[in-house]
Amino acid sequence: MLMDSIVSPTDRILVTGSNGFIGTRVVENLLARGFLNLRLFVRPSSKLDKLKQILGRYSAGKNAQIVAGDLLSREDCQAAARDVSVVIHLAAGFEKSFAGAFMNSALATRNLIEAFLELGQPKRFVNVSSFAVYSNLKMERHALLDETCPLEDAPQERHDAYGFGKVQQEKIVRDYAQKRNLPFVILRPGAVYGPGKPDLSGRVGINTFGFFIHLGGGNELPLTFVDNCAEAIALAALKPGMDGEIFNVVDDETMTSREFLTARKAAKPFFSIWIPYPLAKLGSVLWENYSKKSGGQLPPVFNRRRCAAEWQGNRYSNQKLHDRLGWKQKVPLADAMKLFLAQYQ
Amino acid sequence: MTLRLAIIGCGKIADQHLLAFRRIGGGEVVALCDRELLMANQLGDRFGITACFADAAEMLRTTKPDVVHITTPPQGHFTLAKLCLEAGAHVYLEKPFTVTAAEAEELISLAENKKLKITAGHNYQFTLEMLEMRRLVAQDFLGGKAVHVESHWPYDLSDASYVGPILGSKTHWVRQLPGQLFHNLISHGIAKLAEFLGDEVKITAHAHQSPRLHSLNGQEVQDELRVLLRDENGTTATFCFSTQIKPGQNFLRICGPKNSLFVDNSSGTLLRLENKSYKSYLTFFVPPLKLARQHFHNARINVFNFLNGKLHQDSGMKELIEQFHRSIKTQGAPPIPYREIILTARIMDEIFAQIKNPAK
Ligand SMILES: NC(=O)c1ccc[n+]([C@@H]2O[C@H](COP(=O)([O-])OP(=O)(O)OC[C@H]3O[C@@H](n4cnc5c(N)ncnc54)[C@H](OP(=O)(O)O)[C@@H]3O)[C@@H](O)[C@H]2O)c1
Repeated sequence: MLMDSIVSPTDRILVTGSNGFIGTRVVENLLARGFLNLRLFVRPSSKLDKLKQILGRYSAGKNAQIVAGDLLSREDCQAAARDVSVVIHLAAGFEKSFAGAFMNSALATRNLIEAFLELGQPKRFVNVSSFAVYSNLKMERHALLDETCPLEDAPQERHDAYGFGKVQQEKIVRDYAQKRNLPFVILRPGAVYGPGKPDLSGRVGINTFGFFIHLGGGNELPLTFVDNCAEAIALAALKPGMDGEIFNVVDDETMTSREFLTARKAAKPFFSIWIPYPLAKLGSVLWENYSKKSGGQLPPVFNRRRCAAEWQGNRYSNQKLHDRLGWKQKVPLADAMKLFLAQYQ
Repeated sequence: MTLRLAIIGCGKIADQHLLAFRRIGGGEVVALCDRELLMANQLGDRFGITACFADAAEMLRTTKPDVVHITTPPQGHFTLAKLCLEAGAHVYLEKPFTVTAAEAEELISLAENKKLKITAGHNYQFTLEMLEMRRLVAQDFLGGKAVHVESHWPYDLSDASYVGPILGSKTHWVRQLPGQLFHNLISHGIAKLAEFLGDEVKITAHAHQSPRLHSLNGQEVQDELRVLLRDENGTTATFCFSTQIKPGQNFLRICGPKNSLFVDNSSGTLLRLENKSYKSYLTFFVPPLKLARQHFHNARINVFNFLNGKLHQDSGMKELIEQFHRSIKTQGAPPIPYREIILTARIMDEIFAQIKNPAK
């Protein structure tokens, strides 16, 4: 338990996306801290095995309320938000279509915030965003990316429906803070890795053509192990005096894309080829130009903005996370990699 | 005449309409409307359209579009299309055209009375290979009326992200349709048959749930459908909708009294099956070689079309929109005959009635 928390152990905390990759770890973190009154929002079609396993491990798990619904329904949001003091909002839209991603990220968030403000006892709304909201198109290669960097202003050109949904989601949170005094914290995790997520981050490379193309090269990855990320999310939910703050979440110890891929391939080998950044950039520019010229016959899946965001490379800082939230990397890189790689054995 | 277009329903398919409309060029999008204003705004932000509305009547009053594309879930189609027609706008209605055939008939007669055009979003009728098929049929390649037609329409359930929310909620709009999952997915496949059938069609339909859907806790939802049809002239047809058959091939086979055609919509190809016989063992050598030549020819055409920027994934939608808008401008015949739209709706009504009450 935090000595210094905006809620008591009996206050109700709502976690959306609670059965997900990060959500389950956040639930475990909160149970381990002694929170007794968790409400866990899932969809009726959600897989619950992992979540139920975790609940079974803690005595407070018995009190946890699993509420099934869809955040696209205002009534379901009301059922979820009633009497809640803190919302940890992890549910998001991963659809390929812009409308689909917008619905499950932005529209769902609007519904949830309205219900929270109306029926909850709002102490804090933690919005879990993503590095996908940043644009580094105008940044130098390997420049420092922190919370003050510009956000993506042309997600359509980047052909990134997920990023579009997340940018719009953040905008809604900030709008409600301004107009209706929503107390919020935004967290932007980098590339979250851990058991339960076998796919490699797009920052390492892509599988689009049936084999793995390594594009990250020697770039530093903004890695955060799922339990370290969950720790940051829990702190952001509990720590007093954080309202309106935005935090990037990356671990202290990270790896380069090449090191990460090598470790991954050592666990279970597969074929990959490496394309250096200048070539990836040239390919992206040509692809984007052809896409425009052909009126979208080939969708602009490779383009300047995406290339910059994913493969140009940055350095990352978690200074603010340490300084303001008092976050510490709980799981060291070596242990995290063991846990991550075990899923391939 | 520059067409002023409005869209009602700003979900996933609306993007495709706007992209196709942009590619056609020459028109102007004057309004976007969605009951959920944020949905209209997100589409407007991305396409640079500022006139966004949450109320269709207000949108029609304020912006007076020439044509409205309705891309909402089907339960809203009838009321919205009626509203648009009454406001003097031509209507493109996404598939399924309406929930029932009675609604389809009422809309079409309203459009005719008002001297307005209406069409259904049966865009798979307008892909490059379907246009070529129609050209050959018009040239009497079949050698007369079709004797038998087969339509296969697959759907891949390996990614459960589409059915997940549907199965998750009994109140999901797909679950509320009389034909549930089929209702939302089979119109394209049925419309392909309607083109070759007369108006009086006898139907026998069977449906069941696949093991895959069962494993996803499919409850009462069915996902395997087989239909046998026969019209008043004796033309027969079969329709197969399946989530199980692999590879899931989307095709139409039209068997004529002289020759036949095989249109593979999955690979955008067309085969002419000519009635020729060969002596002795040549039967085993010549036809496969001739088919190989046709396959090669199809591949060459697709590559050629790709290099010329004509092989868009949604080429059918662009073609249908273009033909529909042209029919408005020139006051010509709409691209899909009204008879076919109504017949498609009637066939669907009957299928859903039979699978709901198999004893009947
Ligand atoms: N994983 C990463 O590398 C990463 C990096 C940065 C940020 N993030 C952010 O972290 C959050 C969690 O990500 P994750 O990796 O844990 O994803 P995940 O495992 O896919 O979890 C997403 C959750 O959202 C739920 N959901 C989606 N739409 C919903 C709706 N309309 N109503 C209710 N629930 C809905 C999903 O339910 P179902 O189980 O029913 O589908 C699922 O539980 C997201 O906000 C994501 O943007 C992730």
